[in-house]
Amino acid sequence: MAKIERSQKLFLKALKEKFQGQDVQSETTEFYKFNGYHQSPRKEEFVKASRAIELDRGISMYDPVRNHLGGIPLGQRQLMTYEVSGTGVFVEGDDLHFVNNAAMQQMWDDIRRTVIVNMDLAHQTLQKRLGKEVTPETINEYLHVLNHAMPGAAVVQEHMVETHPGLVDDCYVKVFTGDQELADDLEPQFVLDVEKLFPGKQAEALSAAVGKSLWQAIHIPTTVVRTCDGGTTSRWSAMQIGMSFIGAYRMCAGEAAVADLSYAAKHAGVIQMASHLPARRARGPNEPGGLAFGLFSDIVQANRKYPNDPARASLEVVGAGTMLYDQIWLGSYMSGGVGFTQYATMSGGVGFTQYATAAYTDNILDEFTYYGMDYIKDKYKVDWKNPSPSDKVKPTYDVVNDMATEVTLNAMEQYEQFPTMMEDHFGGSQRAGVIAAASGLTTSIATGNSNAGLNAWYLSMLLHKDGWSRLGFFGYDLQDQCGSANSLSIRGDEGAIGEIRGPNYPNYAMNVGHQGEYAAITGGAHFGRGDAFCFDPRVKICFADPALKFDFAEPRREFAKGAIREFMPAGERSLIIPAR
Amino acid sequence: MAYKPQYGPGTSKVAENRRKQMNPSQKLEKMRDVTDEDIVLVLDHRAPGAAYPTAHPPLAEQQEPDCPIRKIVTPTDGAKAGDRVRYIQFADSMFFAPSHPYQRTYTECYRFRGIDPGTLSGRQIVECRERDLEKYSKELVNTELLDAARTGIRGATVHGHSLRLAENGMMFDMLQRSVLGEDGIVRYVKNQIGEPLDRAVAIGKPLDEKWLKAHTTIFHSLGGTPYRDDKEYVEYVQRIHTLRTKYGFMPKE
Repeated sequence: MAKIERSQKLFLKALKEKFQGQDVQSETTEFYKFNGYHQSPRKEEFVKASRAIELDRGISMYDPVRNHLGGIPLGQRQLMTYEVSGTGVFVEGDDLHFVNNAAMQQMWDDIRRTVIVNMDLAHQTLQKRLGKEVTPETINEYLHVLNHAMPGAAVVQEHMVETHPGLVDDCYVKVFTGDQELADDLEPQFVLDVEKLFPGKQAEALSAAVGKSLWQAIHIPTTVVRTCDGGTTSRWSAMQIGMSFIGAYRMCAGEAAVADLSYAAKHAGVIQMASHLPARRARGPNEPGGLAFGLFSDIVQANRKYPNDPARASLEVVGAGTMLYDQIWLGSYMSGGVGFTQYATMSGGVGFTQYATAAYTDNILDEFTYYGMDYIKDKYKVDWKNPSPSDKVKPTYDVVNDMATEVTLNAMEQYEQFPTMMEDHFGGSQRAGVIAAASGLTTSIATGNSNAGLNAWYLSMLLHKDGWSRLGFFGYDLQDQCGSANSLSIRGDEGAIGEIRGPNYPNYAMNVGHQGEYAAITGGAHFGRGDAFCFDPRVKICFADPALKFDFAEPRREFAKGAIREFMPAGERSLIIPAR
Repeated sequence: MAYKPQYGPGTSKVAENRRKQMNPSQKLEKMRDVTDEDIVLVLDHRAPGAAYPTAHPPLAEQQEPDCPIRKIVTPTDGAKAGDRVRYIQFADSMFFAPSHPYQRTYTECYRFRGIDPGTLSGRQIVECRERDLEKYSKELVNTELLDAARTGIRGATVHGHSLRLAENGMMFDMLQRSVLGEDGIVRYVKNQIGEPLDRAVAIGKPLDEKWLKAHTTIFHSLGGTPYRDDKEYVEYVQRIHTLRTKYGFMPKE
């Protein structure tokens, strides 16, 4: 390791905005003079809203003066705003809690309400078993019927209840294929055109991987998965697919061949976004605990939009991943409330969002990661701005140790040199996640090997712990101090390649501040190679859809829009409730 | 060959300080003299002079099973008496506080018996039988392991270890359990859980910056010892990591 010069500090703008009029490198400041929560416009809004609710319902609610520490409200130090990294948008921390942020909710809704279903199996049934003709014209007709039926409309039966289109306007089905000739014969409104959506080399690789098969990218209504669960998605879609085939191809509703279509749509030809979980975690398919890291890196589309910046692409996965895995997943199944939003100052309280936001605010992780990019270019001659498998570094112990050590030491030194940044990431878990993420991303991008990136993460954790004699909350004692031993293991039940590890991997299943970063480390290995996809080309294509409510190419920008209340989600109920 | 603890790697002053704190054969320097009664007040587990509440009868009075481990391990005084298990918790400023969470845990494990430490980034708790706790707490408070300004005794709402210092040199504490008087003496006006005390407990003057930087156990590149400069320490951690990685494959050698 050898420190390199890097004059640009991406976090400086945020620090200067947050700590206005102060020397961001000073070791001292003033406390106890900020008038508590009154310094936050958002918390003032909360108090006002709560007063109105209390008058209406007659039950007490938000009262920080009375209920926080027996009369000492939050805000004895400066309450900071946050710049959502890569966006230039400053937001209140409260607005990055998923309850307060419609974009965060929609990101997860858009994943949970998605399944991909193969059409070839159904077409074989229609052609070989029933002798029916399948042509681009019949497929177009079927897609018209399906886009009528999928939101919740009847196609065969009489006197059926149906859903209001205004409540399910986010529901539709498109198709994609690697057969460009077929794609050109289908109505453009129904086609995810790989050639148009992806940069040339990526499109070529994706088309080759998908081949001549035809797939349906299905998004059922947001309001359905919110009322039911992710396991509903494949069932809802399979029912509407079955009815649409019956309607479009004039089949008998009760004939045995329908069972083949149902089996294909429900089991044989369906790609769930997430596998189901053990009973004790009590979730079906398409719930976050079963969403593999490699697949998540395919859902996020930043490498499609920024193919020459694998660091940026990875950082977008970090932002999306920490929001989903920490704030929503671990923040709900393992803990609740508001702790995971920020930092588990009180486990299961409000901290989980704090953990997560540290990784996608104030450009701190960005700065550490781009330092890593400069380092691998300087020392290992990795031309990271032109991703390619050809200049990847062989991941030996020495290489991984060197990269992880240098990135970790640099990050620790930045925190030391800028005490306001240490104050910004006031919890050790925040710093640990960010430093290890930068180490892991640097290594995976440089080597093209996700497990090498994970291995770098764990060295970073050990170095961090010994340097400052502290790490994160108790959970960091669990996986981070034994992770070295499983990070390169791929034996069944003991390990896996990074791409198919997920939030329910044994050592990862209960620890906030890790999973989003692991997903990005996995993605980084492929973004650094210039791969078109990480795990599943079909998922990569499916989420390239510009018609989706959430833009998966820019998750951090979407979260910022949610925070400043400019994001329009789906699943609204204003049509069926009294006007306010 | 008898095992001889090494108390950690490193050639730097920080590494040396760490080894000294851990090594029970090294006497910790006494820096102040907080009385038994004052310790009890800050801990807030019992009123000074009150009997120790018990979790079970004294060991001598209850039927002990025929257990070889119990014959080997001599119970501590608190265990013998059946005391409750209670705690003391510290927050240590990253601006050169004398001790830090893992360092505290290692030090306590080498120096004390019958303890259950817990280590986080912003706080470190140690739990044990109550009368043992009071004895250990006195050593933790009165020796070089504590600085009046940069070490906090905090049961809850510990936030402060990573924040900038107040202009008077005190570590941030939302509850302001301890305050720096005009006479330069730091006094606890609230117990460790943040309830006001009937009378203030003085713990003396903050140690000066020069002393802190010479005795701290944290690497810090802003005016202290940069971690990067202790090559032996960094290489040792790398070695541990590499060995752990290899042993994930259960090698036969």
